[in-house]
Amino acid sequence: MLRNLTTVAILVGLILGLVVVTNLLGVRLFDRLATNLCIALVLVLGLQVFMGNSGILSFAHIGFMGIGAYTSAVLTIPTQMKGMSLPDLYPVLAAVEVSPYLGILLGGLAAAAVAAVVSYPLMRLSDAAAVITSFALLVVLHTVMTHWSAVTNGPRTLFGLPKATDLPLAAGAAMLAVVAALAFKESRVGLLLRSSRDDEVAAGAMGAHIPRLRWQAFVLSALFAGIGGALWGHFITSFSPKAFFLKETFVILSMLVIGGANTVTGAVVGAMIVTVAFESLRALEAAINQAEMFTEQVVGLTEIVLALAMIAVLALRPGGLFATHEIGALLNRRARKKREDG
Amino acid sequence: MLEVSGLQVDYGAIRAVHDVSLNLAEGELVTLLGANGAGKSSTLMCIAGALPATAGTIRLEGADVTSARPEAMVRKGVATVPETRDVFPDLTVGENLQLGAYTRRKDAAGVAEDRARMFEMFPVLAERGGQPAGTLSGGEQQMLVIARAMMSRPRFLLLDEPSLGLAPTIVDQIFDMIATLKRSGLTILLVEQNASKALAVADRAYVMRLGKIEAEGTASEIAAATDLKALYLAG
Amino acid sequence: MTTFLQFVIDVLSLGGAYALMALGLVIVYGILRLVNFAYGELIMVAGYSMYLVNPSGLPWLAMAAVAVLMAVLAGIATDYVAFRPVRAKSVTAVLITSFAFSTLLQNAALLFISPRPRNVPLPEIFSETVEIAGVITPARNLITIAAAVVLLTLFSWLMRRSVLGIAMRAAATNFTMARMLGVPANLIISSAFAISGLLAGVVSLLWIGRIGAVVPGIGLEPLLIAFIATVIGGMRSLQGAVLGGFLLAFMDTTLNFTLPQDLLKFRDAFTFSLVILILLWRPQGLVSGPASGRRT
Repeated sequence: MLRNLTTVAILVGLILGLVVVTNLLGVRLFDRLATNLCIALVLVLGLQVFMGNSGILSFAHIGFMGIGAYTSAVLTIPTQMKGMSLPDLYPVLAAVEVSPYLGILLGGLAAAAVAAVVSYPLMRLSDAAAVITSFALLVVLHTVMTHWSAVTNGPRTLFGLPKATDLPLAAGAAMLAVVAALAFKESRVGLLLRSSRDDEVAAGAMGAHIPRLRWQAFVLSALFAGIGGALWGHFITSFSPKAFFLKETFVILSMLVIGGANTVTGAVVGAMIVTVAFESLRALEAAINQAEMFTEQVVGLTEIVLALAMIAVLALRPGGLFATHEIGALLNRRARKKREDG
Repeated sequence: MLEVSGLQVDYGAIRAVHDVSLNLAEGELVTLLGANGAGKSSTLMCIAGALPATAGTIRLEGADVTSARPEAMVRKGVATVPETRDVFPDLTVGENLQLGAYTRRKDAAGVAEDRARMFEMFPVLAERGGQPAGTLSGGEQQMLVIARAMMSRPRFLLLDEPSLGLAPTIVDQIFDMIATLKRSGLTILLVEQNASKALAVADRAYVMRLGKIEAEGTASEIAAATDLKALYLAG
Repeated sequence: MTTFLQFVIDVLSLGGAYALMALGLVIVYGILRLVNFAYGELIMVAGYSMYLVNPSGLPWLAMAAVAVLMAVLAGIATDYVAFRPVRAKSVTAVLITSFAFSTLLQNAALLFISPRPRNVPLPEIFSETVEIAGVITPARNLITIAAAVVLLTLFSWLMRRSVLGIAMRAAATNFTMARMLGVPANLIISSAFAISGLLAGVVSLLWIGRIGAVVPGIGLEPLLIAFIATVIGGMRSLQGAVLGGFLLAFMDTTLNFTLPQDLLKFRDAFTFSLVILILLWRPQGLVSGPASGRRT
């Protein structure tokens, strides 16, 4: 228990520290980066809840982010704006306008609801088939978002979301996500799920119904994704379905892989490292293009570097930076060792 | 012919084999005895190249084969029959045998000759030649995997618990076959839980417990040892 | 009657392409238990090779051969970059490295060639039409059917009769045991990737033949098709993958013919919903793979 408290304290402390430092520096760019980082934390932690506990890779996560974003958009865009942003919107929804905070919550719930309904068959599949089917699910969600013009404005950009997400809100959500992810990991469901990875038969004998456990983890992770998506929507105020597809999946996945999919600490640290790397590389790309060092625009360099980094991490440290133990456990171990030696 | 010295095999944090040393002279049948979990199979699979050794050396006819891969061991004349009796269930009996001779595939005539010989030695396999190996009974599958191993014309056979899960009459047949193989000059390392059957065919024996060798000697010496029971049951 | 014949030709030609796609994926999965996310990029590589070789003025068949060769090489490269470094680690690790490699290849094409579509040379015969019993269909469809039949037959022969094929089938069931019989692991693996590349190369020619141009993301759709066909067919069965490919083509074509106009753009969503229903009924897929009793 103490280990978990230590972990929570450190991770929450990191986020708080981030907020404090950013405020002190007062640079708007950093404010934007920090907010993006906190939103990414919510998303990555959601993926960690499912992937870290079930051991199954889910590609559908970003699709649920989209559900959250679009749901909140439809519910919160001011009615006058809706006439322009979503001209074909169903009259029932056109009249609705709620506070963004409620919208964010409802976005998360909508994503969780869709996940609850759609995902149960996936949970009975073998690991590889489950991954592949989750990939197909991402494509389905993307297709629906791209073509359901009445609700999403189709492939075009949807604009008009109220800018409700600021650093305190995002950071608050991130801190809650850390606590929730850790709580789930150590809950009965989380423990049973993780034990089933090592030995399905034994876990079954203990009463674990694996598809149901996986399903619970999946729905929870979709909740995180939906909330993260809605937060992001209210930060960026306009987006299109293109924002919820493979590129974003790749980035979020790289955060989890590099940090360590099995631990909450890994998710947090991975998100921080990759965000810094990503923004730096993007800045480098922009600088190269500005200086016109090459005749063509340099595009895709960031992704290439990230891809190589992922392969390298997996080859050298397949579990990621924090492969098995949370930071609380690691520090406690070290403290105990010191006491035993000294 | 085979010299194992100081062998150590780990499964992650668990040490399955601890400082095991044994040797076999050419033409000997040596049996490795012990209760479940004693580390016998791990030792054998390590010699076969299927498990990595954490420490120690394995020498085959003087050459160091500690880190040799399984494919390389076959080329050196070592054939392995694992405890899991791994027939390829969807391949026919004939295809299984053909695969056993993979290293000799260029010598089509020789392979065909050996196949005929195997069918002679194991008439039941000849009967089921075109059937998928998965449809064979346990005893038939055991015969198949031994025949398959022989297809590579090995000089050295590693056998892991051939009697496992088989009815007593079939076990007798299997051990008759093992005795025949021994008489033909094959060097055999036999891992077994059925100590009495194994000691009846073996020249020498080692007894393992909890990853270590606790006793060694000629078959008759070990058979007479009264603390054998203790080693088995206490382990 | 003509509609029916049109339907049959469409299903057979689409099914042939889908079956080849699925086969290229499953041959690596069946042996290595590894899902190759970079498989679609093999198709992309073949496409860009055609584009890059075009200025040379070689006859189309020669260019096609180069393209297929490049796909084979790319397949083997996938083994060395994305699989060998992490093969001994977890299954998930390999999934992710192949996904990373896929992103790498796509962005390399983006960076070094162009994000915009590039034209791919097509032989005259692809655009000709043929009339059969009153149905007018592009010759390309018939060529696809022929190519599928030839390749599937060749492949089936390879798997059943050749030593390599038997060794590969054995390796797919139990790789360690195959090695203990002297079957060289590396050869089997490289062969699997090479065959996967070969199939991807041929599919690329047929698939891009429909569009005439190549973009970095062109491999996504074939990858998805291969994935789904494999999953409904049963992950480890070669026959299952082929069956899955034809079944998927059947579903797609049926929906094409029957969906009302405004729902047509959701066709993929419908197809995948059907797939999810199939999986609900039979999670292990339609054809059971080699018996092994182990988790797939």
